[in-house]
Amino acid sequence: MTALWLAVGVWLAAWALNVWLAGSRVSTTGLGRALVPLIFGATVLVLWEGLVRGLGVSPVILPAPSVIAAKIAVELPVLWQDFAQTILKGAIPGFLIGAGAAFLVAIAIDRSPFLQRGLLPIGNFVAALPIVGLAPILVMWFGFDWQSKAAVVVVMVFFPMLVNIVAGLQASERMQRDLMATWGASYGQSLLKLRLPAAMPFIFNGLKIASTLALIGAIVAEFFGSPIYGMGFRISTEVGRLGLDMVWATIAVAALAGSVFYGLITLIERWVTFWHPSQRH
Amino acid sequence: MNARATVLPVLTVLGMILALWYAAAVWMNATWVFDQAERAGATVTWAEVIPQTMSQDRPLLPPPHQVAAELWQGLFGQAITSKRSLVYHAYVTFKGTMMGFGLGIAFGVLLAMAIIRFRVMDMSVMPWAIISQTIPIVALAPMIITLSSQLGLQGRDLPKAIIAAYLSFFPVLVSMVKGLRSPDQMQLDLLRTYGAGEAATFLKLRLPASMPYFFASLKVAVAASLVGTIVGELPTGAIEGLGARMLIGSQFGEPLIMWASLFAAAILAGLLILVVGFLERAARKRMGVPA
Amino acid sequence: MKKLMTAAFVAAMATSASAEDVKLQLKWVTQAQFAGYYVAQAKGFYEEEGLNVTILPGGPDIAPTQVIAGGGADVMVDWMPAALAAREKGLPLVNIAQPFASSGMMLTCLKETGITSPADFADKTLGVWFFGNEYPFLSWMSQLGLATDGSPGGVTVLKQGFNVDPLLQKQAACISTMTYNEYWQVIDAGITEDQLMTFKYEEQGVATLEDGLYVLEDRLADPAFQETMVKFVRASMKGWKYAEANPDEAAMIVLENDQTGAQTETHQKRMMGEVAKLTAGSTGALDVAAAERTVASLLSGGSDPVITKAPEGAWTSVITDAALAQ
Repeated sequence: MTALWLAVGVWLAAWALNVWLAGSRVSTTGLGRALVPLIFGATVLVLWEGLVRGLGVSPVILPAPSVIAAKIAVELPVLWQDFAQTILKGAIPGFLIGAGAAFLVAIAIDRSPFLQRGLLPIGNFVAALPIVGLAPILVMWFGFDWQSKAAVVVVMVFFPMLVNIVAGLQASERMQRDLMATWGASYGQSLLKLRLPAAMPFIFNGLKIASTLALIGAIVAEFFGSPIYGMGFRISTEVGRLGLDMVWATIAVAALAGSVFYGLITLIERWVTFWHPSQRH
Repeated sequence: MNARATVLPVLTVLGMILALWYAAAVWMNATWVFDQAERAGATVTWAEVIPQTMSQDRPLLPPPHQVAAELWQGLFGQAITSKRSLVYHAYVTFKGTMMGFGLGIAFGVLLAMAIIRFRVMDMSVMPWAIISQTIPIVALAPMIITLSSQLGLQGRDLPKAIIAAYLSFFPVLVSMVKGLRSPDQMQLDLLRTYGAGEAATFLKLRLPASMPYFFASLKVAVAASLVGTIVGELPTGAIEGLGARMLIGSQFGEPLIMWASLFAAAILAGLLILVVGFLERAARKRMGVPA
Repeated sequence: MKKLMTAAFVAAMATSASAEDVKLQLKWVTQAQFAGYYVAQAKGFYEEEGLNVTILPGGPDIAPTQVIAGGGADVMVDWMPAALAAREKGLPLVNIAQPFASSGMMLTCLKETGITSPADFADKTLGVWFFGNEYPFLSWMSQLGLATDGSPGGVTVLKQGFNVDPLLQKQAACISTMTYNEYWQVIDAGITEDQLMTFKYEEQGVATLEDGLYVLEDRLADPAFQETMVKFVRASMKGWKYAEANPDEAAMIVLENDQTGAQTETHQKRMMGEVAKLTAGSTGALDVAAAERTVASLLSGGSDPVITKAPEGAWTSVITDAALAQ
């Protein structure tokens, strides 16, 4: 029980520290901005550890963070193999193909307002559908290896991307387009110099949504058949073997991969759309 | 864009999709017909193959009319209280979605209020809220189910709702933070000259100002909630609901059950979005914004 | 009328208060594999013993071992390899009864892949279920001396989903099937029996004990719980024997309990017929020789055995002795 009270004590102290930090001048610096959430995250882990130890929670129900960390250290090669299978072979190629295909389709129908009017409501509708339900069907079609995982990701990513790109291509203002016309810009020039850059905030918004969908798709698809490695495989197998420390280790890897993926897109966005009001600080 | 200008293009695109679907069904289901013929030592011509691809029991890709028939049978072929009725299962999924949606809205709004009020909340929690969305929820689903049964929560309704809420709170949170912050300095100053306290400023200015943002986020949130509910039903052994039906269809090699559930889910999603969109327009009208 | 209702209500309260609550966690979704328990419930066998039994169906992400560890169930249906592996992980499970006398697990192969004996498995792709069901397969392969990590000369293992598609789509040369379920899906799909080559674990001498009833060791120390389990096992076995004698009726009872409404009568009736062959001859008492064979098979896992040492106290005949005595 002492462990629990100790953890609660640490948590309260750290929270007080955070309150002080947020009110002080440090909070406006980059250091403060990074420090406060890090302290918060660390205290959540301490509280978790204290709860598990203090209440004597069985490790087959919820392992302590220290146990999970130890597992990560020991099982690094396995975790890497799973990561390579699910993220590098499944999620990322699927993400690129899906986003690329959406881009090509958006450009292809760009000149036909008729097709756009027809495709946009359907695309909007499909983007809101629970496409994960297709996972068992796609596994049946494309086999158990990474191809089917990539296919699920492609389908999941395609429609949100399409909707965002089409909306983005219409984002430039009439006056701007007229100006391009008066300069005698061709369709291609106008697209490249005006409309695509103007579409970038929308495209990045779509990419961010797609990045989380890609991970979900790749992992769910592994529940329906997979080789004997991969993150979805690991989670569903280790739960059955009561290897909960390994399950949480895989979840930690997934969270890290998801955050890095998302962070990378945000970085590129900042670099590409430096001119947009949302990037002014 | 008026309605008539969209109907024709949408129908055209739908027609194209149907045509592609039929072509794909013939192409994909033909392999099986040829394999069977080869095993039986016979040869078949395409004229014989095509009709056979349209009516298999376990097609690789069921043609649209087979799915439609199964869907019709599931929706209207029996009493809606029957366990064989898709309406019944859609209702189970709908219930889960609504619970998750409600939970997500409550959590999102409360968190947004805390974030607006306390700088320390903004700084420590907001980054983690973003990170939480990059964690694939499906990885957590089995954990959530065991943990909640450990806490003595009976049934699988609540864990399902938690998974749904996990996905749906985020759009609400982001929009509400934006909305509550949307009043500009001049408006805030004006309220101060009226001698309005913090509570009054919140109720009379910030909250009304955030409403358009709030309603805009609901559409995204309800779709996310439905996805969460289905994911919760799919691999975690929920016993009823569209997700569970998809799973059983997959397990017992009944692709038609799987496809019909998938389309039932699509119809449910469409209805939910329509209703939320209607609410949004009604609310806007009441608040004086031209729809 | 009102008085009558009150009386009925009081009576209902009284029975539910005096009835002993038992929660049974199944290994998989509602199907004829668990017919005995559903029959015992529907026919009132549990009620006769003064038990109030709740049957909890399982599913792909529900590990019965974890549910029982979390206190979500009192007794569970699981396979012995999974229970023994959990025991080694520190979850003290004890077998109290064994309704399934023999194993229904087999590998089903397409003859066209050229497989005629286990020696032909080398360099082929084999489909296996995981989630605790992989143990019998892994110990069989290590007895055959075949590596399962995909190295040349070994076998490539694929985690098959919940259906027989990998075989139909020729993604695997062989897949795991149960005599009572997946095998018939292959047949239903249009492949005839003479196009198939099957290897039953039972016939290969690598069978491990399947559906048994397990409880936590520390709870078994409580005499009241023991007594409840005696009643439970007695009623369950009565259910099983009834199901064996009336397979069609049992299948219909299962179907009524299927909440997804997606199961069909043909599947369940056939499954009941095949399951009856596996429960035939079992009184519920565990055959200790078979249990020891299971342990030996799991221990002989070569470099990566399923369990590392022979378990002690992993089964008890206390419950079945008392249940069968009367």
